[in-house]
Amino acid sequence: MPAGLDNLKHIVVLMMENRSFDHMLGGLMKTNPKINGLTGNESNPDTTGAIVKVQPNAQFQSQLDPDPDHHFPGVDLQLFGGAPPGPGRVANMQGFVKDYFTQTNNVNRSHNIMYYFTPDKLPVLTTLATQFAVFNGWFSSIPGPTICNRAFAHYGTSFGQVGMDIFYIKDPIPSIYERMIQAGHTAKLYYYDGPSSTMEIVNLLKNQPQIFATYDQFIADCKGGTLAEYSFIEPCYNDHPGPGGGEILASDQHPDHNVQEGERFIANTFNAIRTNPALWQSTALLIVYDEHGGIYDHVVPPACTPDGYCAQAADTGTGEAFNFDRLGVRVPAILVSPYIAKGTVVPGPEAAAGGRIFEHACIPGTATNFFLKGDAQRTVREKNSSTFLDLLTDQMRPDSDIPYFNLGGN
Amino acid sequence: MATPTNAIFVPKPAPGSYNKNRPAGKLLQAQTQHLREALLKHLEELAAVLAIDPRSLRTEGEVSAYIHRATAILHTHAARPPRK
Repeated sequence: MPAGLDNLKHIVVLMMENRSFDHMLGGLMKTNPKINGLTGNESNPDTTGAIVKVQPNAQFQSQLDPDPDHHFPGVDLQLFGGAPPGPGRVANMQGFVKDYFTQTNNVNRSHNIMYYFTPDKLPVLTTLATQFAVFNGWFSSIPGPTICNRAFAHYGTSFGQVGMDIFYIKDPIPSIYERMIQAGHTAKLYYYDGPSSTMEIVNLLKNQPQIFATYDQFIADCKGGTLAEYSFIEPCYNDHPGPGGGEILASDQHPDHNVQEGERFIANTFNAIRTNPALWQSTALLIVYDEHGGIYDHVVPPACTPDGYCAQAADTGTGEAFNFDRLGVRVPAILVSPYIAKGTVVPGPEAAAGGRIFEHACIPGTATNFFLKGDAQRTVREKNSSTFLDLLTDQMRPDSDIPYFNLGGN
Repeated sequence: MATPTNAIFVPKPAPGSYNKNRPAGKLLQAQTQHLREALLKHLEELAAVLAIDPRSLRTEGEVSAYIHRATAILHTHAARPPRK
């Protein structure tokens, strides 16, 4: 077993909100052709038939208001360009501008959905992507919105849901937190604070309050060496007053929240682990986005193993049932550890050979494999998912080779 | 720890980024509905515990079960934000 795995004691997952891979990391391909980003020639037609190319014009805020559609029928339009559901239909990623027009009713504004960030605008995410491991083929689990996608990260399934409805407990599939605790391990879900709370309310419904803690506790646990073996971090989901009357900005990066605040949150989380040497050497940090938020990505989502559920046509809103046999749009995903070789790019579906597909079921799947040796009850999607800890090597990188983020202000 | 060569400066958002009057999106609206569902569960549990007459509890086992349920509810409420 590589030293990176031998020394691993903690897996930390930070799940951000609603940005596609190309939007956040696509600009990296210019300096590293192994990263499956943008050439600059990718395009979509708008509602007048004009061709709209991707452009490096993304701004931190105010550009994606109204919120781009990312519910099941909207994503269907984004993927299939408006071709009606039916046999033989092929995804072409040509409906993003058309779909954003349905929100904006403004042709020029609908082009914003093709904008991406230049790497210099996102120093945290792009540094981590180029210094550690970036996944070319990590997809959201469902071509749909937040709640069902986050469910895959907690349970390895959404229990047949493709929307925002809370899924009632009807199957004996425990969350990864329950599995860990039942087996004598430790697990925590850290939400930002009371006014932001959690999106994982099913565990509250199941009367599992001991699973939850706030982000302040995460920072204290990192400092004190008391971090749980498995941790999941939720960013701040809304702008709200601080306890002393200050201003707390949403850090989830959900449009139209400020992307720079999310950068600072990612950096703060990284620094909290990195500044405790014992924790840094024994932790793998996964930074991943729950879904693409309706924003353009050029990679067609691949087929996947169905998880045994079926969403009926009335629930999908497309007129066609969905068998959970296709993944959602690609999202940024980065794995951080001192045992990961600098500049690792995990090939995805673009690779002629050796490409790997990841989705959110990989998260409980990997944690279950590592901590519980695969014993706990896993979903079909987890059993068929890739795991990501094989990226940890034998070689620990020296401290001088590892970045540190200065959040001192500007 | 950090050296000038590996320290990366992370800028702050521009002043004026904060907007607590921004209309709440679908995700936040869904979150409030889901929290309400969770609250209803608490209400059911609270009603169930209040329906028990403590004078009817005879054994230490019965009393401890009652105390456990009552404390769990009160402990949750102890974490609530202060009233304005």
